[in-house]
Amino acid sequence: MCASVKYNIRGPALIPRMKTKHRIYYITLFSIVLLGLIATGMFQFWPHSIESSNDWNVEKRSVRDVPVVRLPADSPIPERGDLSCRMHTCFDVYRCGFNPKNKIKVYIYALKKYVDDFGVSVSNTISREYNELLMAISDSDYYTDDINRACLFVPSIDVLNQNTLRIKETAQALAQLSRWDRGSNHLLFNMLPGGPPDYNTALDVPRDRALLAGGGFSTWTYRQGYDVSIPVYSPLSAEVDLPEKGPGRSFALEATFCVVLRGARLGQAVLSDVLQAGCVPVVIADSYILPFSEVLDWKRASVVVPEEKMSDVYSILQSIPQRQIEEMQRQARWFWEAYFQSIKAIALATLQIINDRIYPYAAISYEEWNDPPVVKWGSVSNPLFLPLIPPQSQGFTAIVLTYDRVESLFRVITEVSKVPSLSKLLVVWNNQNKNPPEDSLWPKIRVPLKVVRTAENKLSNRFFPYDEIETEAVLAIDDDIIMLTSDELQFGYEVWREFPDRLVGYPGRLHLWDHEMNKWKYESEWTNEVSMVLTGAAFYHKYFNYLYTYKMPGDIKNWVDAHMNCEDIAMNFLVANVTGKAVIKVTPRKKFKCPECTAIDGLSLDQTHMVERSECINKFASVFGTMPLKVVEHRADPVLYKDDFPEKLKSFPNIGSL
Amino acid sequence: MQSWRRRKSLWLALSASWLLLVLLGGFSLLRLALPPRPQPGASQGWPRWLDAELLQSFSQPRELPEDTASPPQAPHGGSCNWEACFDTSKCRGDGLKVFVYPAVGPISETHRRILASIEGSRFHTFSPAGACLLLLLSLDAQTGECSSMPLQWNRGRNHLVLRLYPAACPRTFQLGQAMVAEASPTVDSFRPGFDVALPFLPEAHPLRGGAPGQLRQHSPQPGVALLALEEERGGWRTADTGSSACPWDGRCEQDPGPGQTQHQETLPNATFCLISGHRPEAASRFLQALQAGCIPVLLSPRWELPFSEVIDWTKAAIVADERLPLQVLAALQEMSPARVLALRQQTQFLWDAYFSSVEKVIHTTLEVIQDRIFGTSAHPSLLWNSPPGALLALSTFSTSPQDFPFYHLQQGSRPEGRFSALIWVAPPGQPPLKLIQAVAGSQHCAQILVLWSNERPLPSRWPETAVPLTVIDGHRKVSDRFYPYSTIRTDAILSLDARSSLSTSEVDFAFLVWQSFPERMVGFLTLSHFWDEAHGGWGYTAERTNEFSMVLTTAAFYHRYYHTLFTHSLPKALRTLADEAPTCVDVLMNFIVAAVTKLPPIKVPYGKQRQEAAPLAPGGPGPRSKPQAPAPDCINQLAAAFGHMPLLSSCLRLDPVLFKDPVSVQRKKYRSLEKP
Repeated sequence: MCASVKYNIRGPALIPRMKTKHRIYYITLFSIVLLGLIATGMFQFWPHSIESSNDWNVEKRSVRDVPVVRLPADSPIPERGDLSCRMHTCFDVYRCGFNPKNKIKVYIYALKKYVDDFGVSVSNTISREYNELLMAISDSDYYTDDINRACLFVPSIDVLNQNTLRIKETAQALAQLSRWDRGSNHLLFNMLPGGPPDYNTALDVPRDRALLAGGGFSTWTYRQGYDVSIPVYSPLSAEVDLPEKGPGRSFALEATFCVVLRGARLGQAVLSDVLQAGCVPVVIADSYILPFSEVLDWKRASVVVPEEKMSDVYSILQSIPQRQIEEMQRQARWFWEAYFQSIKAIALATLQIINDRIYPYAAISYEEWNDPPVVKWGSVSNPLFLPLIPPQSQGFTAIVLTYDRVESLFRVITEVSKVPSLSKLLVVWNNQNKNPPEDSLWPKIRVPLKVVRTAENKLSNRFFPYDEIETEAVLAIDDDIIMLTSDELQFGYEVWREFPDRLVGYPGRLHLWDHEMNKWKYESEWTNEVSMVLTGAAFYHKYFNYLYTYKMPGDIKNWVDAHMNCEDIAMNFLVANVTGKAVIKVTPRKKFKCPECTAIDGLSLDQTHMVERSECINKFASVFGTMPLKVVEHRADPVLYKDDFPEKLKSFPNIGSL
Repeated sequence: MQSWRRRKSLWLALSASWLLLVLLGGFSLLRLALPPRPQPGASQGWPRWLDAELLQSFSQPRELPEDTASPPQAPHGGSCNWEACFDTSKCRGDGLKVFVYPAVGPISETHRRILASIEGSRFHTFSPAGACLLLLLSLDAQTGECSSMPLQWNRGRNHLVLRLYPAACPRTFQLGQAMVAEASPTVDSFRPGFDVALPFLPEAHPLRGGAPGQLRQHSPQPGVALLALEEERGGWRTADTGSSACPWDGRCEQDPGPGQTQHQETLPNATFCLISGHRPEAASRFLQALQAGCIPVLLSPRWELPFSEVIDWTKAAIVADERLPLQVLAALQEMSPARVLALRQQTQFLWDAYFSSVEKVIHTTLEVIQDRIFGTSAHPSLLWNSPPGALLALSTFSTSPQDFPFYHLQQGSRPEGRFSALIWVAPPGQPPLKLIQAVAGSQHCAQILVLWSNERPLPSRWPETAVPLTVIDGHRKVSDRFYPYSTIRTDAILSLDARSSLSTSEVDFAFLVWQSFPERMVGFLTLSHFWDEAHGGWGYTAERTNEFSMVLTTAAFYHRYYHTLFTHSLPKALRTLADEAPTCVDVLMNFIVAAVTKLPPIKVPYGKQRQEAAPLAPGGPGPRSKPQAPAPDCINQLAAAFGHMPLLSSCLRLDPVLFKDPVSVQRKKYRSLEKP
């Protein structure tokens, strides 16, 4: 092209010599080449839109074209289902090997059409739902196409409905699967078991050790901890998208309770419809194992009435308080949304249950299975939930963060060492440019004193879970807090023992909503309320150090280190958020009069400092997505504080003095 | 010549462009034309069938069978499940009533005490005809305490055979339709939802109360061994596995590192306790581990975990496959501190709630069966699996966790913002007009109830108050004060004596504090208990000390649930004790709340205290209700009945934030609390 340009510039003489015909010819040729190049380039840089529609890399075939397998009449039949099977007897866990993600791998056999000696087919090749189910597994994280790495095998032989298959021949088809091995680690999905007249409650196809995910198990056929009870999918739910408008279902809409009666089979597709309508199912089907009952708590979403009490249903339902009914309705809707509404949901819940059995230490908890999202969001699970008053003898570890105020640091060490329950003192030396003083220069105290040198001058170093911390109680104290008396510190420790899951600190602060600015504001004035304590002097559980260092939400930790401010506010947010509880401020407010004690009150008075602190609160509230701080109007004092009582008989006389 | 050369360069440029186009486009076209071969390692997935839309549904509506009436039958006739073998129609009315077969012939002390314990419980009835459950105790075979088939046996229907100890009697007669509660039943013989799995109790298990859990701190001590392994001959061996894979098949012993093993006779001190799953006897180790706060790691247990019907063991133990030892070990080593913390605490809660005494085990068994009968009004799972546990959170009170004082955090709810004042008017019986006005003045007061409990006739006129005032004519018994009156609708109760005197400000502040601690009692006046060496028993005093462990219920806030607990869960003997010695009722109420919360009560400031608190003149009760001469016997009787001393001491008082601070009074919200 460059050549042609050059040619054009130089060649006014040439152009007239060329025939108009030729010129058009060349221009057209160039345009085509150019267009071709552009098109190709676009094709190169836009490959995803084309490949992501799976049609490109998956073979396009018809179900009718799958290979046909002839089953000789005398081919082996598996044993009937072994009722004594448990995971540790019938499941070959070695196949699951060790997987760092704690996830089982599932292989799906290729689809085939099975015919008998006369060429008559054994069953429908595959139903719409089973195809959907296998597709869902194939699209999930569980799927592997490597048969050697698989831990669970899913035959593509469709046994969802026993009525559509020939029992003996289907069993023979199972037995000839390449990894059948008595059916161990094979998972069959069946929703409509049994057949007339007696309707067995489990699939009649002999299946030896295979796991059965079945709809309609009874207590007699269900192998607890081995089989999985699944819902009977209602093909109706796929067709009616908006249950609210579905004309045929108004029965469920207005009803609070919907009776699900046992039919010929125990499992009823109508259960799914009932849940979808947010109606509480009243299950009258003795011995029925409700879907996913291994993990779902049906007491919260249904009423199970024994058949012989059918006549009492009305009075049973009337005795349920309104509040419980509302909770049950919410729960029913949640179960439908999470585990019933699609074939995919059913397939994935089944695999998750089996996965949890194989990797129990990574299993999903009761709450994760059962709590609807609204409860999960609103609830707090305190990591220190056990009411436990730690023994006084354990004592606490004081952690002093220091940079270079050695003189003040030594005074703090001397003061703190007078507290009877101190068991160790840890100095976090945050200055990389200067070495800590010689060993001989440090104050001689009665407890071990350790100096930890940090790699960087970061505020978060104060909250690092150092191995040296051997007690549960930690006292964080600044290197200039020399005004706290030994009585005050000891009392603070005693208060912490009664509230080990809270921050127990001395100077209290408050957050307020600024209606003019429409944002949070930091307050350090003399208020009647408190929502934070400064960690310049505060007791807390060492577990919060672990949380601060490793589990702080968002970028808060780095933000604090970058701004060199607000690590205490961050800690207050963290603890309040994880425990749902307020701080405890101990002892009266002190006027810190000594000139060098600027850290707590002196600095806070600075106007820009206040603005910065307010910014921190707003920043943290947005990262946490909520305002976790709790406001209270109380503080903790010794029982006899300021009471008319002989001072020398008081346990903590020296409190509040300056 | 020149034009030819020009044309040549033109052709050259053109052909170069063409070549480029062919090269680039050709590849793409090639890709379009030929579907790629499956590459090794690339996931191919389930095919997208061309005719997927045309596939038939697995069930066609027309083929659904008609209803048939016969319910599914047990395969071998002999098996039982709840619907088939238990007749709930006998349990109408007030829940589970249990009849216990009296022992025939001479019985052991243990047997006698267990019988007595059941007879003292709220489930017990003396009439076999009125009972819904008939309990047959099957104790130690060695002492020959095996009963023959009892009279009302009726093929075992509605019977529970309680085999508390492993060496229980042989089955001398057909159990028929009876339920069996036995220690660690094998998975194969256990009938889920019908039988009850019990813990494997050691012979010396305490009958009542029981030893508390061993855990003294929430998180594991630094440097504590990761694993303890059970030993064949009893006891534990701790193994510090470090980072190397050191499984429990004995290889650790052959390859001992420094300080690696250590033999312990009694309780293990480690984070995890590894227990083999084969022998049911291992279940006794399971209980030891629970008590020690050592997280049990069970390898493919062949026995049913105790009370597995209601207890979510995944919160307290790890059940792993014995065939994957290295994976289990790695999982333990990598377990997050948060999970370890949660598991440890749960072991302690479960031990203390359901296992620490024989009585708790029996009551839990009965509670499990009662829950089956109750159906929808049974305990929700949360009540079984978080403190204080289902024995102390009665489902007869409510099935909604928010109604209890214990679960507000888990539920994301808050206690109600109002309280009911319950004023007890004992002889001489003057209407407490001043007190009513002070309490009604609180913005949080929802209603006032006057419990008229003396011989004088009810006054016909009561002061006008902003809140509803109801007068209840009591039975003149002290225990009336803690009856769950249906008129009390609020979560909080302010319990008062007619002789108490409180200011509105005091009431307001105390209620605010209570809202932060809805499970505790918040009171103004305190008592403290102590161990009296001289008498070898407990004593308590109203004298002011640096610590306290009880608050007087004559002026205290607490949750209305404690009225239900007082009236419906206490053995009748204890309520009678309170009626006979009125000063004992304070102690009793504090015992109940402390046993439930495992925490001390809370004291708030009380303005007038200084004037009267001076010397507590013996026998000279002031104008306010002071405990008269404390009855030391009361506290000892209660401690014996509870099986332990539940009271805990506190050394703090919660004051308003600016209480007596050197700051202008105008700034203070509760300034009247500081008036001398």
